[in-house]
Order: sequence, then C-alpha cells, then structure tokens
Amino acid sequence: MKTILITLLSCLVAVSAARAHAFVDHADPLVGSTVKTSPTEVKIFFTEKLILPFSDLKILDSTGQEVDRKDKHLDPSNGAVLIVSVPTLKPGKYTVSWRATSVDTHVTHGAFTFTVSS
Amino acid sequence: MKKLTHCGLIAAAALCGFLHPRALMAHGFEGDRFFPPTISTDDPFAVDELSLPTVNLFHDPGVPITREIDFGGEFDKELLPGWDLEFSDQFTTLLPKGSPSVNGWQNFDLGSKLELIQSPAHEFIASVGVDWAIGGTGGKSIGVDSFSTVSPAIFLGKGFGDLPDSVPMLKPFAITTDVAEAFPTEAANPNSLEWGIALEYSLIYLEQNVKDTGLAHPFRDMVPLVELVMNSPENRGGGETTGTVNPGVLYEGRYFQLGAEAVIPVNSHSGPNVGFLVNVNIFIDDLFPKLFGHPLFGGHSETASTETPATSAK
Repeated sequence: MKTILITLLSCLVAVSAARAHAFVDHADPLVGSTVKTSPTEVKIFFTEKLILPFSDLKILDSTGQEVDRKDKHLDPSNGAVLIVSVPTLKPGKYTVSWRATSVDTHVTHGAFTFTVSS
Repeated sequence: MKKLTHCGLIAAAALCGFLHPRALMAHGFEGDRFFPPTISTDDPFAVDELSLPTVNLFHDPGVPITREIDFGGEFDKELLPGWDLEFSDQFTTLLPKGSPSVNGWQNFDLGSKLELIQSPAHEFIASVGVDWAIGGTGGKSIGVDSFSTVSPAIFLGKGFGDLPDSVPMLKPFAITTDVAEAFPTEAANPNSLEWGIALEYSLIYLEQNVKDTGLAHPFRDMVPLVELVMNSPENRGGGETTGTVNPGVLYEGRYFQLGAEAVIPVNSHSGPNVGFLVNVNIFIDDLFPKLFGHPLFGGHSETASTETPATSAK
C-alpha cells in the first residue's frame, strides 16, 4: 500500500513539471517582487515550449507606457523561456504583460507586477 | 528540417487561430483566470470535458441506515462556439444495513449550456442551460424516478483579479454558482430549487499573477475550494431543504485534474454523517487537440483578434 502511494505521489510530482497549456512556472524578477536595482531583462519561465511569433512579452510602466526594448525572444537553450530586455528602469512599479502560445497551439495570457525600489 | 518543423508549427498555429480560434482557448479561461472544473457543482463553461470517474461515498438519510456508492462520469462536447451538449450518468450501489446490496444505473442525464456574457477584464462569465434527467432509463432496483425532470438553470463565474492592488492576496479568490429550477414531468412530485456555490482560492493564480511565494510543486498547482450543494423542495409536500458543504482541493496536472472533497450534510435530513468524493477530470483538449478543445462547427469571433501573430498584449 505504501509503495502504491509513493508511486502515485511520484507520478503527480513528475507531471506537475509541465502542462499542455503554457503556465508561468516562475519569472525573473519574481512575480510580485521588489528588486533593488533595475534588471537588464525580464524572463518568464513557462511550463511548455512556445511559438515565438504568437507569443508576446511587454513591460509597462505605471502610466501604461511600454518601456521594454521590443526585442522579445526565446532562450536559445530553452524554448520555454521568453525574454525581453529593458533599459535601466527608474524606481517604480512595472507590469509584465504576457501571452504564450505553446507548441501545441494552446494560448494563455496574464500579467503580473514587480517593483524597482529607490 | 528543424526550420521546416518550426514553420509547420507556425502554420498550424495560424490555421488553428484563424479557422478555429476558440480551439486555443479551451479549458475554462476567462481573462487571466483559469476556472478549474468543479466537481460537486456545475461550472459556467461550455467546453469539451471528460469527467471520469467521480466516486461518491456517503450514507443516505432515513432508515435503514444505507451506505451509497456512486460511480459516475460526464462528457461535454462543444457544438458551436460557447454552446455544448452534456451527457452524464452514474452507477449506484446501495448497501442497506442488514439487507442485501442492490445496484443499478441512475437515470441518464442530457444537458446543454450556452455562454451568454463574458468579460475577460473582470474574469466574469454568465451562462444558461437546461438539464433533462430522462425518466425510466435507470435501474428500478435502486428506485430511480419513472418520470423525467427538466431543470433550466443559470450559471455565473467571477474571479477577483480585478480587486484593488491594496488587497493582493484576495485576488486569487473566485466564485462560481449555478441555480436551477427542477420541474418533474409527473405533476404529483414537487418542484425544487437546486443551487450550488463554489468558492475557490487558486494557488496557481497567486503564484503566476500576484506573488511568487516560493510554494513548491505540487502545492502551487492546487486550488483549495468549498462547494455548497443545496436542494429546496417548493411544493407538494416535498419536505425539508437538504444539502451538503464540500470542502476539498483540486490538483491541476498536465493532462488531468484530481479532486477530493469531504461531503458534510447541512442537517439531519441530508444524511447522518460525513461522506467522501473523489474525481478525475481528463483534459481531452490537451490529450487529443485535433478532436477536442474546439467547437464541432464554427469559430469564435470574440477571440479571433487575439490569435493573430503577437503584436500587442493586454
């Protein structure tokens, strides 16, 4: 019985690593975090590999203006990581707005914020 | 070859996006919110779903004390964008104390749902539907109704991601509700108001939209919830209101959802003690994307604009 439970739990943990819909596994800067210095780029680590032309990543300042360098790209070594570079960001709150089309063509989207402290 | 494969994927995405854009928005999404399929109440989404099995163990109210085990399933298929047909049934085993067990199928259920109002920015959806429990299609040995019951219903879903930033930890909350009026086709039987509420706290939404708390898998893939399932007879000596409060948790895997809930009677008319409910919901739109996850006929104009190559985000 114990073996069956351990096996089932292992299966659950194993399959939780990815989904057919691309969800955010984590981001850099972290979702909802405060960083002391401006990042040079914003990365989102998704749970599925993406199709770049149908995916998007934008960084918006508190007025809603786009402040990234408009150079979204996938990590060459990991097609599940969407990246956009940013200039030096002034202290303030920024919104990361994303849309992810996974390789099985499912679309998800979302947004989160991070703060650059003074 | 790699380039060709990449081009093929883009072409496939474009084709699916323009011809069947709704295919790309399967599951119960509204805006940034993923509404998981609830297991005791009906959610407002008319999408392809396969719920199999749902196992429910509880004690029936009354004498003799009878343990009931239900083994059920449901299949929903979206026919036109935002409109589906739903088929469900369950096999029931009754274990009366001191008597031999009996078992048989419940009456077959045929339903349909239509999504009427959607507001992605406010994570809101409203739907209407109707359910037809077809009398006499189940086993007489378990005492199924010989008459049919027709139940028109309304369904609502609301996520709270649009709450002010001053209350970030409340944003993962969402609520869905269904309210149905059950009309038996045999006049001697009572009409009844059937209603349910599901209050959810999505750890998935918390981790990817609000704050990364560092919660590890599989816990960050879970949605704790409480469901309330009520039935209030309205006339013809229908008796007392009955219902259960079902606290539990849903786990969202890659191709399936696992759910478990306790089933707590709200009063003595609803049962003598706590039951238990487990459910597997298979994401057939992910497992078989060519067959499921899109309407059988037609596209979806509302989402077409969002499926073009990405030039703008929310």
